[in-house]
Amino acid sequence: MTDPLFTISGLCVDVPGRRLLDRLDLNLPRGQVVALIGHNGSGKSTLLKVLARQVQASGGQVGFLGRALTDWLPRDYSRALAFMPQTTPPAEGMTVRELVALGRYPWHGALGRFGAADHAAVAAALEECAITPLADRLVDTLSGGERQRAWLAMMVAQEAGALLLDEPISALDIAHQVEVLSLVRRMCHEQDRSAIVVLHEVNMAARFCDHVVALKAGRIAMQGTPRELMTPEALQRIYGLPMQVLLREDGGRVAVPA
Amino acid sequence: MIMRKAAILALAAGLAAILWGLAARQMLPSGWPSLPFDASAMSLQQILIAFGMMPRGMIALVAGAALGLSGALLQAVLRNPVADPTTLGISSGAQLALVMATIFAPGLLEVGRWPVALVGAGLAAGLVIAIGARRAFAPVTMVIAGMLVGLTTSAIATAITLSRGEYLLSLVIWNGGSLVQQDWSGVLSLTAVLIVGAIGAALLARPLRVLSLGAAGASALGLNVAGVRLAVILLAVLLAGAVSAELGLIGFVGLAAPALARSMGARSMGQVLALAPLIGALILSVCDGVVLTLAGATGEMFPTGALTGLIGGPLLIWLLPRLRGSTPPGTETAEGIAPRLAHPVTFLIVFGLAGLALAGLLAWIGRVPHGWAVLDWDSFNAFLPLRLPRIVAAAAVGALLAMAGAILQRLTANPLASPEVLGVSGGAAIGYALTLFATGTPIPALQMLGTMLGGAMALALVAAYARRRDMPAERVLLAGISVSAMAAAVLSAIMATGSAQSWQVLAWLSGSSSTVGWWQAASLGGLAVLVLVLARMAARWLQILPLGPEVSLGLGLPLDRARVGLIALAGVATGAATVLVGPVSFVGLMAPHLSRRIGFARAQDHIAGSALIGAILMIAADFGARMAGFPYELPLGLFASLLGAPWLLWLMMRMRR
Repeated sequence: MTDPLFTISGLCVDVPGRRLLDRLDLNLPRGQVVALIGHNGSGKSTLLKVLARQVQASGGQVGFLGRALTDWLPRDYSRALAFMPQTTPPAEGMTVRELVALGRYPWHGALGRFGAADHAAVAAALEECAITPLADRLVDTLSGGERQRAWLAMMVAQEAGALLLDEPISALDIAHQVEVLSLVRRMCHEQDRSAIVVLHEVNMAARFCDHVVALKAGRIAMQGTPRELMTPEALQRIYGLPMQVLLREDGGRVAVPA
Repeated sequence: MIMRKAAILALAAGLAAILWGLAARQMLPSGWPSLPFDASAMSLQQILIAFGMMPRGMIALVAGAALGLSGALLQAVLRNPVADPTTLGISSGAQLALVMATIFAPGLLEVGRWPVALVGAGLAAGLVIAIGARRAFAPVTMVIAGMLVGLTTSAIATAITLSRGEYLLSLVIWNGGSLVQQDWSGVLSLTAVLIVGAIGAALLARPLRVLSLGAAGASALGLNVAGVRLAVILLAVLLAGAVSAELGLIGFVGLAAPALARSMGARSMGQVLALAPLIGALILSVCDGVVLTLAGATGEMFPTGALTGLIGGPLLIWLLPRLRGSTPPGTETAEGIAPRLAHPVTFLIVFGLAGLALAGLLAWIGRVPHGWAVLDWDSFNAFLPLRLPRIVAAAAVGALLAMAGAILQRLTANPLASPEVLGVSGGAAIGYALTLFATGTPIPALQMLGTMLGGAMALALVAAYARRRDMPAERVLLAGISVSAMAAAVLSAIMATGSAQSWQVLAWLSGSSSTVGWWQAASLGGLAVLVLVLARMAARWLQILPLGPEVSLGLGLPLDRARVGLIALAGVATGAATVLVGPVSFVGLMAPHLSRRIGFARAQDHIAGSALIGAILMIAADFGARMAGFPYELPLGLFASLLGAPWLLWLMMRMRR
C-alpha cells in the first residue's frame, strides 16, 4: 500500500459528559472510496468532521498526507480536501454555475481575480458531474439528486484530491442514491481521487466502496474489504443484530436482518 | 445540594427583608403602625409606612411572582428559553396603549389602566406570535420579532411623548417601572390576578408537559394544541399586562426567574412553574431594596424597572451560550424563490439615476404657506446650500444602514437581522447620554466621539461572541439585543430624572437631520462610499457565508476573521448613521429585502442595490419629515420608522415557512 491519506493515532473527542471517539487508531488508504459505517451515535460523523477540521480533537494525532492536521493553513487544506455537510444549506438565489464557482475560493481567495484557470475548472467540474445543461438554473429549483450533483461539482471545482461526504444520500430516493454514489466512485477511480463517505446503508457501502471502516461506540468495530464486511458475524458485531447475508446470482452479497 | 439551594433562596429573602427594613427604618422615628391601619390615628411617618412602604414591599413580591410565572408560562408554551414579556414585546405593547390612551382618549383611563394595558399587551403578543407561528416558533426568530415589535412600539410611544412631552412626565416615570405606592389597592388587584394565574397554571401544567414534545407529538397524544397554546398565552399576557398596568415596564424578571429556577435544578414543568414565581418575587424585592437603599443614600429615586433591565441584559448574554441549537434548519428561508435579474448592473445604474433625479426634484419643490410650489431659479440657488447637505446626509445614512442590514442578513442567513438589533445603536445611545450628562453642553465633535465610543463598545461585545465558532451566527444577534435592552434600561432611568438633558436625549433618539452641515454630510457620504467599497471587496465572503459555517470552513474561509470584520463594518456604518437619525429607522431591514425581491441576487449586486434603495428611501423620508408637519419638522428617524414599521409587519406576516 502507498502512503495513507489519513494517519490517525489515539484520537479522542469529548463533549461534556460523553466521549464520542475513544483512542482511535486508524489509517485510511489513498485513491479509494472508503465507507464509514456504524449505528447511530457510533461516532462516524464526528470522525469525518475531525478530518474536515470542523471539530477539534480533544486528544491524539491526525496526519493528512504526512503532515499533522494542525500544521495545514486553511486555504492549503481546502485545496487538498473538500467537505460536504450532511444537510446542504439552501443556496438562496444562486445559480448552479455560481455555486460551483464558490469551489474556487481556496484558489483565488477573497480578492484574487477569477481567471482562465478558474473558468476552466468550473466548466470541467460541471461536465464531470453531468450538470452542464443545468448550469444557469437556480439551485433551489433542482431536484434532490441534481442538487447533490451540483454540490459534488463544487467539490470537484475545488480540485482537491480528497473528498469527505457526510451522508450524501440520506435524503434521496433509491435511484438518486445509486446515481450519486456511482458518480463518487467514478470520480475517484477515473481521476485518482480519494473519498471518505459516511453511509447508513450497509448494502450501498458494500456495493460502491473499496474499503469499509465500521465504528461502534467511538471505537473501531472492524475494517476491511466489503467482502470481509458482508458476513453475518461482522455485521452482528457492528450493529448488535443478527443479520443474514444472501448471495446474488452475480456473486454480490446483500445483508438483511435475520 | 437541595439544602444549598434552599439556603440561597433564604439568603435572598433575608437580603430583601433587610434592605426593605433599613429603608423603612429611616423614615420611622415614632414606632411601627399598629393593625388595623387607621390613617386618622397615625402620625405622618406611620401613614407613609402603612400606605407607602408596606404596600411597596408587598407589590414587589406579588409583581415579581406574576412576572416570573408569566415568563415561565411563555417559555414553556413557546419552548423558548429566552421568551419573556419583555423580549416578546408584550410590555412595550401595554406601554404604547397607555401612552396613546393618555393623549388621545383620556376618558378610557377613567375605568383604570387595566383594560387599556391588557388590550395593548394582547395585540403585541398576538402580532409576535402570528409572526412566530409562520416560522415554527423558532426561538431566536421569536425574540428578534418581539424585539422589533417592541422597538417599533417604543419608537411610536417616544414620538408621542416627545410631541406632548411636558404633560407626560408621569408616563415617563411609569415607563421606567416605578414601584411607588400610595395605598393597598394595587397590591390587592395584583394579588387577585396572581391567584387566577396560579390556578390557571396549575390546571395547565400537565397539558404543557405534553406540549413540550412539540406540536405534532402533542396532537398525536390527543391534545388540543391550539386551545392549550391560546389559554397559556392569554394567561401569560394577563399576568404581564396587569403588572404593566400597575407598575410600568419591569423587564427581564420573567426571563430571569425561570432560568434561575432551571439552573437550580427544577426539571419538570410543575417544578419550574412553582419555583419561578418564588424566585421572581425575590428578584424584584431585592432590586427594589437596592433602589430604596440608593434612594436613601443619594436622594435620587430611580425606577426599579431600570435596575431589572440592567440585570437582565447581562443575564441574557450569560444565557446565550447555554441555549441549545433549537432553530430548525430551513425555517428562515424567505418567501418562495425570489426573482433574479438577468442584467443587474443595468438596473443598478437605473436606480442610481433615479436616486439622483429624486434628490434633485425634492430639493426643488416644497411647501409654502398656501400649498406647494416649485422654486424659481433664484430661490433654488438660495435654498440649495441649506437643502443639499441634508439630502446628501440622508442619502448617505440610508445607504449606510441598508448596507449594514444587507451584510448582517447575509452573515447570519436570517432575513430579520438588521442594524437595530445589533446593539450598536443602543450602545451609541448610552454613549450619547453619558457624554451629555458628564460634560453638560459638549461641543459637537466630543458628542460624536462619545456616541461612537458607545457604539464601538457594544460592537466589541457582539464581536467577541462572533469569534466563537460554535455559536450560530444568528445567535450573535441576541447579544446585540441584550445590549439594546440594557440601553433601554439606562435611558428610561435617565428619562425619569426629567432634567433638561433628558429631553435632549429624547429628541436625539427620534433623529433629526435639520442641523446637518456640509462637514457632516461630506464625512457621512465619504464613509458610505468607503463601506460600499469594502463590502464589495468582501463580496465573495458574503456569497459563501449564507451557506453556513460548515461550507465556509470547508472552502478554507477564515470564519472568525470574516465574521468579526463584517460585524465591525456593519457596526461602524450603523454607528455613524445613528449619530444622525437615532437608533431606529428600519431602513436597514427594508432596503436589503426590497433589493433581494427586486432580483439583486449576487452578493455584490445585493449590497449595491441595498445601498441605492436605502438612499432613495431616506431621501424620501427626509422630504416627508420636512413636509408632513409643515412648517414644523418631524424628526427624520421617527418619520422613517413610522413609514417602515407597517411595512415590516406586513413583510413578516407574509413570509412563509
